[in-house]
Amino acid sequence: MITFEKVSKNYLGSPEILQNINLEILSGELVFVTGPSGAGKTTLLKLISALEKPSSGSIIFENQNLSQIKNKEVPLLRRRFGMIFQDHKLLYDRNCFGNVALPLEINNMSKTDINRRVRAALDKVSLLKKERMMPVTLSGGEQQRLAIARAIVSRPSILIADEPTANLDKEYAEEIMNIFYSFQQVGVTVIISTHEIPSTKINFKRFQLNGGSIQNLIGHVQLPS
Amino acid sequence: MMTIVIGITLCLPSAGLLLIENAGQISQNIEHEAEISIFLDKTVSKNQIDFIELSLKKNSLVKKIHFEPKLIAWEKLQTKLDVAVSSSVSANPLPDAFFISLNTLDEIKIQKLIDNLDGVDGIESVTVDGNWIKKLRIGLSLGKLSVFFIAALLIIVLLVVIGNTIRLQTLTYKDEIEVSKLIGATNAFIQRPFMYTGILYGLGGGIITISILKLSVFSLNVALIKLVSIFGTDIIFNDLPKRYYIYIIVLAMLIGLISSYISARNSIQRLKIYK
Repeated sequence: MITFEKVSKNYLGSPEILQNINLEILSGELVFVTGPSGAGKTTLLKLISALEKPSSGSIIFENQNLSQIKNKEVPLLRRRFGMIFQDHKLLYDRNCFGNVALPLEINNMSKTDINRRVRAALDKVSLLKKERMMPVTLSGGEQQRLAIARAIVSRPSILIADEPTANLDKEYAEEIMNIFYSFQQVGVTVIISTHEIPSTKINFKRFQLNGGSIQNLIGHVQLPS
Repeated sequence: MMTIVIGITLCLPSAGLLLIENAGQISQNIEHEAEISIFLDKTVSKNQIDFIELSLKKNSLVKKIHFEPKLIAWEKLQTKLDVAVSSSVSANPLPDAFFISLNTLDEIKIQKLIDNLDGVDGIESVTVDGNWIKKLRIGLSLGKLSVFFIAALLIIVLLVVIGNTIRLQTLTYKDEIEVSKLIGATNAFIQRPFMYTGILYGLGGGIITISILKLSVFSLNVALIKLVSIFGTDIIFNDLPKRYYIYIIVLAMLIGLISSYISARNSIQRLKIYK
């Protein structure tokens, strides 16, 4: 589904952040991208979600070469991903409902459909009762759940989360990860960058980044519960 | 605030147009033909008058002839000035006169006719009455050109001012624009609300312009009523034709739309996320 072929990435005047990356992510997999700070995890996720273009090499997503994608095709491509950012990127002048509705408004959906899907997404992350509240009134875990609701509301086939539990307590972190696992169980490809892999019974794939290269490509591993 | 700026800015060329339209009405109300006034010597005899009249009738350029005896002219003047007629008043200063309309506007032919009349015994002076109308019409053309030039400059100013306002708005909504782009919004989707804002600014501004113009015309006419009653004239300040008001609204909305489109597009493109 997603293939990296000799992908490198550097910014103007800087050393390479990613060097000669080769990897493959299949549909419906749970993938963890791990590594220390500055290893290139966020850059890797940006390349997957077409937020960045590689400096060299090619990224193939469902037979489409993202390295050669035209600018006008980029918005349509991004709608196929559900993005969860480390800093949430919630809109604080919109309430919870408004935040989750944004992707559907972009897709020009009818008000009836928007209403139905937003409420379903909020229900999935247990925030339905807070739909009229402003994000600033939510806790850290609730804000992250709201961000997840926005990411899933348009039913993407791929969820990409950049350190979604970085600033959360253990209790909230487990809650968030369980939500991701539940999506993976219904066939959604879930890609998560994290410092350390949380405990799970689900088979997953892990890419360990260090100094811009994938040092360990660890296959399916089942950790003890 | 922006609608007020647009409204007042567009008032200036609109008011200029209003003045020109009213001045143009004056020139249109006057017959579009050349007229000559022939003033006779005070000592001219009846035979000479008859001779001059016959000569004029024979001239192929002359369309209409009207003879006004000096006595009639004097009585008309006194009536107009509301001065009592008295036999003790000094002699009638006005001469007998012929007023002729020509069937040509050819300046060379008119000048030749004037030269011929100048040489005739009994004729004191000959004046062409149409000259001031030509000057008025030239003046009006220049006036219109000036109004359009000023309007063009003011439109450029408005484009810049509205564009700057929209640019600041895009900065205010920077976070929303960034998130929208990240989750797949096209630039056109993001631009649209700003363009609607520009159109609304224009609409509001156009309405303000029309309101100011209407109020001005009404106020002027209220003042002119007093003037009419004193001088016995029938001057009235005419409103612009309805279609001009539609043009003003459409122009204002176009200015808002174009300015906001350019500004929003440039601002949003600068917020490019995809590199």
